[in-house]
Amino acid sequence: MINLTIDGKKIEVEDGKTILQAAAKNDIRIPTLCYHPVLEPYAACRICVVEVGLRGKTDLLTACNTKAQEGMEVQTRSKRALGARRMNVEMLLARAPAAEPIQKLAKELGIEKTRFAVKDPNEKCILCGLCVRACEQIVGASAISFVERGTERKVTPPFGEPSEACIGCTACAYFCPTGAITYEDKYGRKVIHEELHLGPTTAIRVPIRQAVPMVPFIDTDACIHFKTGECKVCAKVCDREAVNYDAQDEVIEVEAGTIILASGFKSFDAKRIPAYGYGRFPNVISALDFERLVNASGPTGGKIKLADGSEPTAVGIVHCVGSRDENYNEYCSRVCCMYALKFAHLIHEKAHADVYNFYIDLRCFGKGYEEFYHRLLKEGTKFIRGRVSDISDMALTKHEEGKLIIRVEDTLLGMVRRIPVDMVILATGLEPGLDQNQLAKIFNISCSQDTFFLERHPKLAPMSTFSDGIFLAGTCQAPRDIPDTVAQAGGAAAEALALADKGTFALEPVTAEINKDLCSGCQVCVGLCPFTAIVYEKDEGHSEINDALCKGCGTCVAACPSGAAQQKHFRDAQIFAEIEGIFLV
Amino acid sequence: MSNATFEPRLVGFLCNWCSYTGADLAGTARMTYAPNVRIIRVMCSGRVDPQFVLKAFKEGADGVLISGCHLGDCHYKEGNYKALRRYKLLSKMLEQFGIEKERFRLEWVSAAEGIKFQQVCNEFTEQVRKMGPLNLSPNGGQHE
Amino acid sequence: MTEAAKEKAFRVHLMVCAGTGCVSNHSFEIKEALEKEIKKLGLDNEVLVVTTGCNGFCERGPLLVVQPGNIFYQQLTVKDVPHLVEEHLLKGRPVKKLMYTPPKEKTPIPVLSDIDFFRKQVLIALRNRGLIDPEKIDEYIARDGYVAMGKALTQMTPEKIIAEITISGLRGRGGAGFPTGLKWQMVRNAVSANGGAKYLICNGDEGDPGAFMDRSILEADPHSVIEGMLIGAKAVGATQGFVYVRNEYPLAIKRMTIALEQARAYGLLGQDILGTGFDFDIKIVRGAGAFVCGEETALIASVEGRLGEPRTRPPYPAQSGLWGQPTGINNVETWANVPSIIARGAKWYASIGTPTSKGTKVFSLVGKINNTGLVEVPMGITLREIIYDIGGGIPGGKAFKAVQTGGPSGGCIPKEQLDLPIDYESLTQAGSMMGSGGMVVMDEDTCMVDVARYFLSFTQDESCGKCTPCREGTKAMLDILTRITEGKGTEEDLSLLQDMALAVKDSALCGLGKTAPNPVLTTMRYFLNEYETHIRDKKCPAHVCRQLNVYTIDEERCLNKGKGCDLCRRNCASDAIQGAKNEAHRIDQSKCIKCGVCFDVCNFGAVKVD
Repeated sequence: MINLTIDGKKIEVEDGKTILQAAAKNDIRIPTLCYHPVLEPYAACRICVVEVGLRGKTDLLTACNTKAQEGMEVQTRSKRALGARRMNVEMLLARAPAAEPIQKLAKELGIEKTRFAVKDPNEKCILCGLCVRACEQIVGASAISFVERGTERKVTPPFGEPSEACIGCTACAYFCPTGAITYEDKYGRKVIHEELHLGPTTAIRVPIRQAVPMVPFIDTDACIHFKTGECKVCAKVCDREAVNYDAQDEVIEVEAGTIILASGFKSFDAKRIPAYGYGRFPNVISALDFERLVNASGPTGGKIKLADGSEPTAVGIVHCVGSRDENYNEYCSRVCCMYALKFAHLIHEKAHADVYNFYIDLRCFGKGYEEFYHRLLKEGTKFIRGRVSDISDMALTKHEEGKLIIRVEDTLLGMVRRIPVDMVILATGLEPGLDQNQLAKIFNISCSQDTFFLERHPKLAPMSTFSDGIFLAGTCQAPRDIPDTVAQAGGAAAEALALADKGTFALEPVTAEINKDLCSGCQVCVGLCPFTAIVYEKDEGHSEINDALCKGCGTCVAACPSGAAQQKHFRDAQIFAEIEGIFLV
Repeated sequence: MSNATFEPRLVGFLCNWCSYTGADLAGTARMTYAPNVRIIRVMCSGRVDPQFVLKAFKEGADGVLISGCHLGDCHYKEGNYKALRRYKLLSKMLEQFGIEKERFRLEWVSAAEGIKFQQVCNEFTEQVRKMGPLNLSPNGGQHE
Repeated sequence: MTEAAKEKAFRVHLMVCAGTGCVSNHSFEIKEALEKEIKKLGLDNEVLVVTTGCNGFCERGPLLVVQPGNIFYQQLTVKDVPHLVEEHLLKGRPVKKLMYTPPKEKTPIPVLSDIDFFRKQVLIALRNRGLIDPEKIDEYIARDGYVAMGKALTQMTPEKIIAEITISGLRGRGGAGFPTGLKWQMVRNAVSANGGAKYLICNGDEGDPGAFMDRSILEADPHSVIEGMLIGAKAVGATQGFVYVRNEYPLAIKRMTIALEQARAYGLLGQDILGTGFDFDIKIVRGAGAFVCGEETALIASVEGRLGEPRTRPPYPAQSGLWGQPTGINNVETWANVPSIIARGAKWYASIGTPTSKGTKVFSLVGKINNTGLVEVPMGITLREIIYDIGGGIPGGKAFKAVQTGGPSGGCIPKEQLDLPIDYESLTQAGSMMGSGGMVVMDEDTCMVDVARYFLSFTQDESCGKCTPCREGTKAMLDILTRITEGKGTEEDLSLLQDMALAVKDSALCGLGKTAPNPVLTTMRYFLNEYETHIRDKKCPAHVCRQLNVYTIDEERCLNKGKGCDLCRRNCASDAIQGAKNEAHRIDQSKCIKCGVCFDVCNFGAVKVD
């Protein structure tokens, strides 16, 4: 252990710790810019300079990479340290006036305005090198580096061209403290509403807020470690050493008497309708994007903002995107009308923008729904009946410039209209989950033509399936809203419980049986039975059917050469009689 | 009897889980289809004993349809494969009896395929109508 | 030299200087002319022409020294050659008009050692200058070359070598003056990571404007560096050495390459040197011309193939240097000193110089001085001795104003401190530094604000840009200085400049940034009045900052003496001069762009500058 004083406070730290670490442990704040706990110290910004007295000599040293030594007397806010720090911040303020951390730091240090020449008022890069070091030390790609020297210095991939070494992990943007690094898709466009893609798309995350158990997992497709073998930042910062890169997916076997399938839906991918420009125009967003945007815990704190940060003055909501459309899904997704109305209401409330709804029919089918629609009409939401043909940014008139133009045939007016708006929300429909067919096979149930799960009977058994003990709930069966889903889930749970509670199970009444007197013991049936319900009794010279195992398919019956096997309710005689009966008419 | 006015008599053995439900769907969906197919419900297409088919022809059917779940979708895992096996063998046998194989048909219709059931029925009816009535033997057509 | 000539004794040796300065002045052509002429006169059996490394007296190049006799000829041209050969070599009459005559004197000085420039010098690092052909190892060996190495390898333990260097008091000649013995001891004590090797580096990335000490040594005596490194390698236990030379020194690279090959061929480099079982080899690494690569951590990064950027010390290279291994890195001049210390003993070396700074130092004397050139002087010599005795004073009878030492990172020392004995400490106290040994002399026509601006523009341009104070600070200071030289400076600028200079000096990452404000700080310390004149009176006392000059025409003088010659009007680029021929001329101040052409062209001194 090493003893030193920081700002007069006696401190004991482990050997090898830096002054910065020692200070942080004792709640003494030393401002930093180019420092990051998971990267090697760089000591370039010189903001963390502190005055260090040792063996009668004082010197100005950077706290981030100077190791604590026995007897050091550190002053973090001495006149000399503050003077240099202030000067460096003031110079950085001239270099990158648009960088928020610098503005904040300047304010803290009492710098109102920089006295030095500002080259570019929009500059954000402070040349702290976090991105370069992250790319080298964390990602292991070294796809970006500094070029030029002195004030011409800048960060760039080789020759300013997109680099093949770049794995597109965006770690550089993540490490950038000032937002100077943005990333673009392969067409050179800014990634759509980039703030929507921050946060939840880190490779290590808690899948959703309501996740049980509430623990993060590593998305191996996105994790840099699984791409380059480097990084391991999460393990470095985890005090509990809980990160395990060797963990594998496990197959867990649960014995259950009944099963409720509630595997949910997939949102329609609006990119499939190119004319709507989703993925091309930053301000064309999907319903889920909008939900994230207005969420109070979302990236903008619930403010409705355009990609450039400004507020929209006109917003268009396009209904039935991917629903009620022969090219995509014929069915109605049921929920879009009402959530679109909710969006319209939220936009009125939060952004005071004009809202245009483009609908085919408004299906306000539930309790209080129609009333909500009327409320919106009173709020001034504009409703235009007609399917939107396309969304473009090609202005024909001056007031369309810089706007997104929605082209629609207004079927009530009988004319084609062009509506300029700032933001378009696509009310994307619901689609069956991706692995619906596979699931159906696993549970031995069927899918209807649209690949939602098929219920046993649409009216009499809407949550049962053809497999006993397997029930359905929610949007895996058909598009439905939350109240309907809750109701159905309640029903499914009740049916499942009823089955479990009874404790006894009614066997299939149509099982097969073998007449011992007729059975010759040929054993044809034994091999045919898919449930291994038939056993040949060697001593007695005939086969026997286990009632508990028999599901009553009758395959054995059909194959029995002697007619010894018969299926209850479907005896040969019964069917022959049926056949005869048919022809009596 | 000209073929135009000939109404063939067809027998359909439908599996309980898929095709019978599919037929039900066609019904609840108010789809109209040829009324010539008389349906006999069995639990599985695998339950269809070749005797049933022979019996149907013997009783005067002009065509027989067996319909079950799509392969791999059988409620009883593999009953429809057994039906397929029997169908192939039986088709050959029927020809030896002088019954054209076009009068005997196996179709996979799932519970969701009301439309397909409609199509199958209509097609089969038309097919058999064109072929005309089945003349088995001088004293055939009557059950003794 | 042909094989036959090698064994032959010659009556006369003509030592033609082939340092870069003289080569630029056609010394190779002179050599050819000499050989041609000698052959013509049938003297080629008696006279041998030798090309040597830099003689040092570059001001007077191209140079020729005739041995024996040590007769010094200077400023030769090809035309002089036939006369010289005939007179001196054939008739035995040295040619007076080609000899050196000190300024203000009439009689030429024939013998080299009698010339003031050479007389006060003590040659250790430059011991072979002008005496050997750098491309011939035999000549180096003939001058006791590789004797010290033999002694070190066969008779001395590493501890003994380090002790010897420590006692000698040799300090790093790169500028910082770190005791060399101590550094070697650190490298020797350091444990190599993963059992890897230890390295030695010779820092030849000489970047200071006007400095050419390292270049001269590499070009004139590469073997002295190789021998020094071999001794160092034995002392610290290194197996591989690197000579880092900037690519702008092609001649140094060429001669070093030849020297390495010859040393290897003689078994003085490589495996099992002199049969002692000791292995050491040297590679040349060419620098890409970044000033900051003279900083040791940046240089190491550059050798490793990375971006030439400094990093924070500690760890020092001696602990963790090249590829993380202990690395001893010394300047060219330091290495060149080592063989002499080992050969002649630490006590001898320590007897030269001051109590804290031992031995000699090579300076490149440039600027407003009569004898421009390379000088090696004992530590403790005063600035006055260097400038007036060796350098021959200021040309044109102008007054001395200041001397800038230590390169762009050094400071300006005023005439009040001319009697300052030079050593590491005294220079630092004066606000300057030893640096690698650049010495720029400035006379009364120099504007000190402009000087500060010039050196800062150099460091600003060469700043690698890694740390904030150096990158942004040098630029901001340069902006202020430029403002002041353009007459736009304010009183606040002065205090801001002072604050910034101190902040940058205090908080920059590496030596480059820490010393970059030195020119500003020293000029403000010694010549604050010049700054104030620029700011308050908007005047440049030396008339260097043209934006502050006001040009006027003395109409009377123009008319009386020049008869209105009209030369100024015709040369004026901005039509600011009015007046017909044969009439007095006048300058329209509103149009004048202060280019100074009128002042330069006027033959009658009628244009005045104020």
